[in-house]
Amino acid sequence: MTEGNIQKPKWSVMAGSADRKHYIDVSGKRTQILTGGSGEPLLYLHGSGGESMIWLPFHDGLSKHSTVIAPMHPGFGESEGLDQTDGMEDLIFHYLDFLQAMELEKVNLVGTSLGGWIALEFAMRYPEKVNKLVIVDSAGLYVEGAPIADLFAYLNKPVKVREMVFNDPESFIAQVSVPNIPSPEQAVLSYRAFTAAARIGWDTYFTNPKMPERLWRIKAPTLIIWGENDKLVPLAHAKVYNEKIKNSRLVVIPNCGHLPNFERTEQFVAAIAEFIKEA
Amino acid sequence: MKVFFFHLMPWPYLPDDFDEKYDSAWVWCPNSFFDPVKGHDLYNEYINSLVMAEEYGFDGVCVNEHHQNAYGLMPSPNLIAGMLAMRTKKMKIAIIGNALPMYNPPIRVAEEWAMLDVISGGRIIVGMVIGGGPEYFSYHVNPTYARERFREAHDLIVQSWTREGPFEFHGKHYQLRYVNPWPTPFQKPHPPIWVPGAGSLETLDFIAQHRYSYMGIPFFHIDVFRRQFALFREACERAGYTASPDQLGWAIPIYVSETDEKARQEFEPAFWYFKKNLLKGLDFIVPPGYTSEKSLVAILKNRGTFLYAQKTWEDVEKGVFCIIGSPETVRDKINYYGKELGAGNLLMGCQAGTMSHELTRKSMQLFSEQVLPHIRPAAGTTAAT
Repeated sequence: MTEGNIQKPKWSVMAGSADRKHYIDVSGKRTQILTGGSGEPLLYLHGSGGESMIWLPFHDGLSKHSTVIAPMHPGFGESEGLDQTDGMEDLIFHYLDFLQAMELEKVNLVGTSLGGWIALEFAMRYPEKVNKLVIVDSAGLYVEGAPIADLFAYLNKPVKVREMVFNDPESFIAQVSVPNIPSPEQAVLSYRAFTAAARIGWDTYFTNPKMPERLWRIKAPTLIIWGENDKLVPLAHAKVYNEKIKNSRLVVIPNCGHLPNFERTEQFVAAIAEFIKEA
Repeated sequence: MKVFFFHLMPWPYLPDDFDEKYDSAWVWCPNSFFDPVKGHDLYNEYINSLVMAEEYGFDGVCVNEHHQNAYGLMPSPNLIAGMLAMRTKKMKIAIIGNALPMYNPPIRVAEEWAMLDVISGGRIIVGMVIGGGPEYFSYHVNPTYARERFREAHDLIVQSWTREGPFEFHGKHYQLRYVNPWPTPFQKPHPPIWVPGAGSLETLDFIAQHRYSYMGIPFFHIDVFRRQFALFREACERAGYTASPDQLGWAIPIYVSETDEKARQEFEPAFWYFKKNLLKGLDFIVPPGYTSEKSLVAILKNRGTFLYAQKTWEDVEKGVFCIIGSPETVRDKINYYGKELGAGNLLMGCQAGTMSHELTRKSMQLFSEQVLPHIRPAAGTTAAT
């Protein structure tokens, strides 16, 4: 598609269309994507719960200053490729291919939880493809005395999951995100998401033993956002990232658990908007 | 009908308030509850009960594998089978089973089973299982590969028994350059293979295609057995043959006493201890990727069919979660449901929860003398006639 003499890259065409939801082929894997907004491309990598299934308020907030591109990782939602995914390396190659398929040269990369871990692993290997990096309550590190809690043990106890993930487990957003009695469709989608997450995270309890010695490879200016009361991945992890990533800044959100994008949407969006606008 | 005695070897000494204070008897149930002095007596009595089954005329006994829990004290059923092999002469020893994905490499399973088969003079029945959900937490094996690893381990084990070694096995999960186990099994081509399980459709097709036997697992409503057995028979038809009754195993707790009232009096407290304490944890510890999405929907729909969900004795009786009573009552019920289900193997749990050794023996004796002779079909007939 052309506008004047300039040919728009695929990501821009996609985001400019009336539809939010798209599918593209990434090395033979059908991949589901949500897009919206305008501005520099922002690639949002979701967490174990698969929150880029539908366009949510936090996606919308980010789309006010960026073109948000929110794919579902292989095996999540309608994205194919669980069988080809046997480890983090496969996911990194997948996203390399994804950028190419979308005709993206360089992105602002934002990742939450499992998505944060993927973002870190990608940014340290392909620094030329990452403009700015935002990691939010990210998995990936082993921190003595501050283990990542075992969400998998309690997947069938919604009350416990809410307690682990939210600062206020009885809030409306918590009850809607993790209902006590999910519908069969919700239960299947949720199970599918956690299966795909377990494919990557089970063996090492969502940690990469090599992470601490590799964080120096992150070149991009990095914003670290953390819910102060994150019971799943404790705040101590944020401090290690802040220490070891050279050009990094830490924003701690009070009265917030593991998912600031859900629990403190405004602060989450504002912190990222400000960071991206900076020189 | 062949009759097997299965023992779970439970820990009967959990405190009265256990189910109020703890969410699970599995995985993280503190091992400080285990008392090795009591355990010494317990293991010896349990093993003696299994040995006595031969005297009582049972066709065989069953042992099984569970880790890190108060439900069953056999993390290694092969060890128990070894003891039984030396203390018995005739009856079958069914190991149902080894959780194949928990053994790395699975060639260990092939070796141990071959040892047992040779030492026992060809009396082993081998059960291949995927392993219950909690085992994936205890041994930290990736559950998203559960089915793949099970299939590959199965292939490796069966090939190691049927191909001349050394040969190379190159799989996704297991790569061995020199597969060459010593000893080789006594039974040819190999011991009979049983596959116990809740029976996903994929598993039933697998069993049917290989002409193995399917053991329905206990503590489910009898409707589940009816449905599973029907599905298995269909799977065999799809595989091009009619299922034989000895390809089906019906596992159920059975208790015999002098009268129906006495049976309930003696059995019920032990059963409730088992139900509220030892099953606790199985209701929610299910790792992701362990089951297919199709099976998940079925499981969610059928949650009420598991024993843990039952509230009253009436629920338990109506769902035929156990068969207890006088010898006449037990015999009649076994004949009635046995005929309906058409299973050629009855796997009876003779001991539950806190049931004492004395009562267990009494039940075994009454069963042996007054029930067993009446439930085996006459020569020339099958369970279905």
